[in-house]
Amino acid sequence: MEEWDEVEVPNNVKEIFVEMKNTAELMVDLAYSAVLFREKEMAEEVLELEEYLDLLNYNLMVRAVLSARNLRDAERITSILQMGRSIDEISNAAADLAKMVIEEKLHPLINEVILESEETIGRAIVSPESILVGKTLEELDLPTNTGVWVIAIRRGKRWIFDPDEDTKLMPGDIIIGRGTRTALDYLKEIARGVIKVMPNG
Amino acid sequence: MDEFDEIRGCLVEMKDLSALMIDLAFSSVMYNSEDIAEEVYLLEERMDDLTLKVKRLTLRAAKKEEDPESLLSIMDMADINERISDAAYGIADIILRDIEPHPIIREIMEDTEEELGRVVVHKGSVLHGKTLKQLKLPSKIGTRILAIKRGSRYIYNPGKDDEIREGDVLIAVGSDLDKLRKLAGEEVEEEE
Repeated sequence: MEEWDEVEVPNNVKEIFVEMKNTAELMVDLAYSAVLFREKEMAEEVLELEEYLDLLNYNLMVRAVLSARNLRDAERITSILQMGRSIDEISNAAADLAKMVIEEKLHPLINEVILESEETIGRAIVSPESILVGKTLEELDLPTNTGVWVIAIRRGKRWIFDPDEDTKLMPGDIIIGRGTRTALDYLKEIARGVIKVMPNG
Repeated sequence: MDEFDEIRGCLVEMKDLSALMIDLAFSSVMYNSEDIAEEVYLLEERMDDLTLKVKRLTLRAAKKEEDPESLLSIMDMADINERISDAAYGIADIILRDIEPHPIIREIMEDTEEELGRVVVHKGSVLHGKTLKQLKLPSKIGTRILAIKRGSRYIYNPGKDDEIREGDVLIAVGSDLDKLRKLAGEEVEEEE
C-alpha cells in the first residue's frame, strides 16, 4: 500500500463512512458508464477508486477496533465492521464490472440492459448557447432541477471524475449523468440550448 | 420470445433491484426499520432466483452459439448484480440481528449528499390521486420514489401510472425531501 501513504484519509469514523458510501456509489455509476461508452480510462479510474476504498476500509477497521473499551462497545462495533465490509463488497463488484471493459469482454446485450433500466446513463454535450455555460454545479443544482446526477465531465482530452460543486461548465463539455431517460433527455435539451429556463434556475 | 429476450428482461430487473436494494438497505439502517430491512431480505431471495434463471438461460443459448465464450460476460453481469444485492443484505442485516447497532451508524447517514426518508401522504395533500407521470417529481423537486407503502404492502419501483393516495408512506430519495414533505401536507420546520 506504499503508494497510498500520501493519500489523505478522513480523520474520524463518521467521515470515513460517508466517504466510503459516496465512493462506492460513484464507482457503480462510473463502472456502468464505462461499460456503456466502452471507456477504458473511466474503467481504470474505478480500479483506482477501489484501492482507495480498501484503504478507507482498513482505516475504518483500525479506528473502530481502537475505540472499543468493553464487551458492549466491541459488540456494537461489529456493526461498523459489517457495514464497512458490505460497502467494500459493492466496490469490488463495481471493480469487476470495470475490468470487463478493460478486457473487452462485453456482450452487446449488456448495453441494452443498461439502456433499458430505470435509472440509466446518458451523455449531454454543452453547446455555447446553453444556459449551463459559465455556471458552477452548485449554482445549477442539476439533481434537484433536472433529476440528473453528474458522474463525470469530459473536457477536451481530460476527464473530471466526480466533479465538485465549484466546477464550472464550459462550452464543449460532455456531461455524463445518471437519471431516468426523461430526466436525461431534459438535460440534453438544456445542454443543447433548446430549453432556456430551468425551475429555480 | 428467445433466450436473449428473457435474459435481457431478467438482467434489467436485476440491475433495478440491486440499485433499489442499496437505497433501501441504507434507509433501513438510517430509520432503524426492521420492516424495510426484511424487505431487502425478500428482494435478495428474488435476486437469487433471477441469477439462477439467467445462468440457465445463458447455458441454453450457448448451445446454439458459435462462440459460446462470448456469453461469459452475461453470466458475469448477473453475478455482479447478485453480489451487490448480497452486500445490500449485509447492510440491512445490521438492523435484523439482535445486537444494537453502533450509534455512529445512524449519525453518518445525515452527511450523505442525498437524503432517504419516509414521507406520509396526509389528508388533503395535493399528491393524492395523482400518478407519478403527472407529478414528475424527479425533474420538479429532484426526488425519486423508491417504493410506496400502502397498508402492509410495498409497491417497489413504482411506474409512471402508479397513483399516490392519502395514507401512503412514500420511501423517497432526493437532495431535499422537505419539498416532498410540504407537498404531502406534513408540517416542515423551516431552517435558517
